[in-house]
Amino acid sequence: MVTREDVENIALLSKLFVPEEELDSLTQSMQEIIDFADTINNAPTSGETFDNINNLSNVFREDEVVESYSSEEILKNAPEQAEDHFLVRNRE
Amino acid sequence: MGTIAKIHEMLTTKQCSCTELTKSYLDEIQKSNGELNAYVNVTEEEALKTAETVDKKIASGEEIGLLEGVPMTLKDNLSTKGIETTCCSKILTGYKPIYNATVWDILASQNAVMLGKTNMDEFAMGSSCETSYFGGAANPFNTNHVSGGSSGGVASAVGANIAAYGLGSDTGGSIRQPASFCGIVGLKPTYGSVSRYGLIAYASSLDQIGPITKTVEDASIVFDAISEYDEKDSTSKGCMGGKTFSKLDNDIKGMKIGIAREYLDGVRDDVKEAVLNAAEVYRSLGAEIVYFDLPALKFALPVYYIIACAEASSNLGRYDGIRYGYKTEHYNGTHDMICRTRSEGFGEEVKRRILLGTYVLSAGYYDAYYKKAQNLRGTIVKAFNDAFKHCDVILAPTVPMTAFEMGHAVSDPVETYLTDICTVPVNIAGLPGVSVPCGFNAKGMPIGMQLIGKSFGEAEILNAAYKYQQAAGENFKDTKWGVKL
Repeated sequence: MVTREDVENIALLSKLFVPEEELDSLTQSMQEIIDFADTINNAPTSGETFDNINNLSNVFREDEVVESYSSEEILKNAPEQAEDHFLVRNRE
Repeated sequence: MGTIAKIHEMLTTKQCSCTELTKSYLDEIQKSNGELNAYVNVTEEEALKTAETVDKKIASGEEIGLLEGVPMTLKDNLSTKGIETTCCSKILTGYKPIYNATVWDILASQNAVMLGKTNMDEFAMGSSCETSYFGGAANPFNTNHVSGGSSGGVASAVGANIAAYGLGSDTGGSIRQPASFCGIVGLKPTYGSVSRYGLIAYASSLDQIGPITKTVEDASIVFDAISEYDEKDSTSKGCMGGKTFSKLDNDIKGMKIGIAREYLDGVRDDVKEAVLNAAEVYRSLGAEIVYFDLPALKFALPVYYIIACAEASSNLGRYDGIRYGYKTEHYNGTHDMICRTRSEGFGEEVKRRILLGTYVLSAGYYDAYYKKAQNLRGTIVKAFNDAFKHCDVILAPTVPMTAFEMGHAVSDPVETYLTDICTVPVNIAGLPGVSVPCGFNAKGMPIGMQLIGKSFGEAEILNAAYKYQQAAGENFKDTKWGVKL
């Protein structure tokens, strides 16, 4: 059972605001999707486990210094920047 | 039909210059994009610049590669250096990547002419292209119908001949389903065979880049070009199954084509009939049809939505209004700033999937949903491995229905998720799958069938698909739109 409180709590964890007037309809649609997801609980539990596709293993390389992007390039897309840093104001 | 081989021949025999060819595609985009909404960004200047380079090469007598000078498009979640890449989301408006996706690096180095970036469901979350911030892309067979999703823009553009081919991404069917809806070919390669570097992530263990093309031959040409090992993607394996082009025309006599009964459950009659007719075509080509059961498929869809949303909730945590993209205007404190940015920047479906993903990963629900889904993912992988002991490839519908009317998908999320029922198992198991046109329904809308292969078995499914196209070429039709070649 998904409650309004669940949705409010999850929204907080997800850093999303849900307007008061949308809370009921969102709770209901979440409930419908969770009911659908619940069908897996009728599946027999097998001994299978899943780690990854294609038996992947960690890929290592030597820790070498290589050319990378300049901070100027990296900051190009920032909404705000100052003195070679991302700028985060406390209020606007 | 504007296939890659045809365009290559036109360029090398100087029937037209690459600039003339590119201009004719750009003109057609100009004429039809208002109605189709396939492109969200047309990169005319860059396209003509590349075309000029190709023309100079031809004029100097240099040989050109098969993909050189061929006008194409990229889904808007593939990073293109200096060219806006939005995932069709408000939250990425104005974002210009500082690097290229590896697939685009490969094609750009071969002088592929990119006409522009194409429409998609926001962050690839959707099956109709309608969750796009820019509105949905229309189906070239009937513009009241959806193009499918999430790579709807690529499929619409290729189906309408306003691109010769395109690259999309497929997390739960996003290449194969729109290809099926638009009467063209879509290949979802094996997980790891094409580098995902520069593909903006939705669900990293399921995402895979692949071609959307007019013909099976074109899918093979593009797949061979982009399936290279890439050290920038830790899950990259390269083309382990070998290149596919030389094997397209192999004899399929004795090939075992499996049909899992579960794949036909709940499928509309016209689609089922077209797929079973295709099985008859295979029988006439000397292949053997074997029926079997795959009961694990029953749980594939909820398993997919749990895993995909869980991964999405984590991947989309990076959108905070600080480093790139949209940022809210008025706020009080950093928490408020991030929450407002995300709430204003993400669309409804994206928010719903982030919330669902956070729910299934949160304390108290993790074991019941996420862990159980991962356990069932193992069961599904094993079921496919067992199935391939009895057959070489699996034949199934791509989608249980044909393209639906616009506006239909938005009403009921769970019903919309059901359209993915035939495509998601392939992503769960990391297998290759190709959608191939196999007929039309009474209203003239295209029907697609899907050929599923063993891990890294692209050559085998493309071989089977190619043989089918040779025998049933009438199902590969041009639309009234676009460039006539």
